[in-house]
Amino acid sequence: MSRLRGAVVVALLAVMALVGAALIPGSHDRTGPARAQAGVAARQSGTNTLHTHQDTVFGSNISARTYGTLIAEREQGIDSSGQLASDLDPIGPRVFDRPIAAYRRYAERWAATLARNVTRLRVALRAGNRAVAQRAWTTAFADYLHLGAVYGLLPDELNNELAGVPTSLGERRFTGLHRIEKGLWTGAPTRSLLPAAAALATAAARLRRTLPTVAISPLDYATRAHEILEDAQRDLMSGSQVPWSQAGVLGTAAGVAVTREVIGTLAPLLQGRENALGASQNELARLQHVLNSVRLRDGDWPTLTQLSQTERERVDGSLAGTLGALSEVPGTLETQNVPQIPKIPPPK
Amino acid sequence: MNPLNRRRFLAGSLASLGAGGAAVALTGASGARAGTAPDLATEAGVVADRQLLARVRFDGAHQPGILTPRPNQATFLALDSVATTPAELFESLQQISTQARLLSQGEFVGAAPVDDPPPDSGILGTYNSPDSLTVTVALGASLFDERYGLAHKRPRRLTPMPAFALDELDPARAGGDVLVQVCAGQRDTIVHTMRELMRGVAGQLVARWTIDGFQTAQRGPHPNSSTRNLFAFRDGTANPSVTDAALMKRLVWAAGDEPRWTAGGTYMVVRTIRQHVEFWDRVGMLEQEQMIGRDRVSGAPLGGTHEYQDPRFDLDPDGQRIPLDAHIRLANPRTAATTGQRILRRGYSYHRGVDDAGNLDQGLVFVAFNQDPERQFATIQRRLETEPMTDYITPVGGGYFFAPPGARGAADWVGSGLARA
Repeated sequence: MSRLRGAVVVALLAVMALVGAALIPGSHDRTGPARAQAGVAARQSGTNTLHTHQDTVFGSNISARTYGTLIAEREQGIDSSGQLASDLDPIGPRVFDRPIAAYRRYAERWAATLARNVTRLRVALRAGNRAVAQRAWTTAFADYLHLGAVYGLLPDELNNELAGVPTSLGERRFTGLHRIEKGLWTGAPTRSLLPAAAALATAAARLRRTLPTVAISPLDYATRAHEILEDAQRDLMSGSQVPWSQAGVLGTAAGVAVTREVIGTLAPLLQGRENALGASQNELARLQHVLNSVRLRDGDWPTLTQLSQTERERVDGSLAGTLGALSEVPGTLETQNVPQIPKIPPPK
Repeated sequence: MNPLNRRRFLAGSLASLGAGGAAVALTGASGARAGTAPDLATEAGVVADRQLLARVRFDGAHQPGILTPRPNQATFLALDSVATTPAELFESLQQISTQARLLSQGEFVGAAPVDDPPPDSGILGTYNSPDSLTVTVALGASLFDERYGLAHKRPRRLTPMPAFALDELDPARAGGDVLVQVCAGQRDTIVHTMRELMRGVAGQLVARWTIDGFQTAQRGPHPNSSTRNLFAFRDGTANPSVTDAALMKRLVWAAGDEPRWTAGGTYMVVRTIRQHVEFWDRVGMLEQEQMIGRDRVSGAPLGGTHEYQDPRFDLDPDGQRIPLDAHIRLANPRTAATTGQRILRRGYSYHRGVDDAGNLDQGLVFVAFNQDPERQFATIQRRLETEPMTDYITPVGGGYFFAPPGARGAADWVGSGLARA
């Protein structure tokens, strides 16, 4: 059980206890820790002007006596019979249909924008103006990152053609956005990057054809809610995937935009299930605010190397806080009961 | 006076001081030293902690630091040779063995000469306690290039580490002509050993990369419970038994069509693997356990009750109990066909600060000894390329090395086979 989730439950219990206390006249001067534990209106003798006794959890038929125990056990990951259990009941997979469809439309719009901006990038490369080409690259890269929730679901080959990174697999297979990035920031003649840009345009066109058919499962989608920014922290803010352009802040800003989109589509599902939604939205808003505050005067995102130490710490810190809140999302959206793991048969 | 000679001088002054049971006699210009073994009673007079007196033999058919128990601390140091002749290279390798033998068996630090730098850095005080120190020397494929005419001596299965998918190897943290693995109980023992080894080879071997490792403490519940890695899971459970000599012969020691000098040696695979621990800590408990295939607390295979239980993959062909892509299942499928692929792991965890994004740079110095890296380590590694855990790790460095057989006595040194005709 996460600490955050624990805190939420404690807070809920405390609120319920206060409601309970409010229902009991004369109890306001006796609210101590002992009274706040069960979160129910305890039986009071004598002065009950409501003339009712509240023996069940408010708004439910769950016995007040067993409720606290049940909650405590489920928070520990087991139910009353000792089986593994989630602290929330699973939700049906079909309720993901609308959020995923909405997200797919969003991604398709960004894929169209990417294709347009790749064309602009090719024009700039042909014209031979490095500064203009770098700006065009930056725009196209941000477009691509807005696909956040789907890029891992594309066929590997297409992923590599769009934005493969030079791993030890070698330069031969290195093409796509990062290949052009390398050339633009290491002084390669801009026209020498035209073949890579042409290949990128082909890949972008293929992306537009592929997107409508990409399978996105509820689990994929719920997981993406936190993995987009996990990738931003691991690969972009560390600079490891953008070693030439140092466009880590730009990439993180795109990640925040797409994560807010994903969380927005999931809001109806998250509503009322613990506090993942509120915590995520708060942290995302704070991170957005921090990012806006480090923007350069001309509106561009600073490169990682342009950040002062204070700015860097604020971005890193807020990103880490956001990831903590988002990590509660997948568990909150579980579509299945916890599987009971079969026992290993004893040796014969 | 070069450092080796300084040490001889040190030993000589000790002998003349008659320093108890540790008196050592010089045996002339051959470089070999004879002397009575350090005496526990005498040592106890200068060492308060008896664990510092634990001693691992340096000489033998195999090098120490392979089958010997893992002390808590380690440092891996990759060196490149700038020696201009084979003789210089051999001299520096001999130097490492000589110092390793002395330091690992315990020695008194004698009085320093007045006008020369002291022969020992002295950071361990008056007595260099053995402290379970082992120094293991291994050679990289690059040492067998054209520089020293050693191509014909190359162990047949020694290659540069091949590229695995998802590796992000930093050349500044990978490869090397010589790898030195230093293990001991205490960090200062290691630091001292590094100081003495490095200055002993100055001018001939230069540092390429280094990384410090540590063992998580033995926290039970049983004395034989495996310790945890930094993903908090027990690691090393399925290691083959080092006391099974026949098994070691099949899995660890070089065999087959190898140059004769390699007998008793083994291939050493070192991989510096960053573990993205913050990311890992944000993953649900059940998902973590299904990625590994084990219970996090007990280390038992999922569905089992104790760590060393057979996971019985054969009774779970569809992955109902342990997912088909779980780490333990891909790493060691426990089938007749994969039994010869097993490796002897002897890794250490590392912590080396924070990265540019403010994340902890923690991970695993994966170390494996095996008879044939292609048949064993690489085959396993390629299977693991599809495991879900790959999202949480990034291999950043390391290399393939060959750990020669052990030195056969004070006149011998690790790697002497290179110098024999």
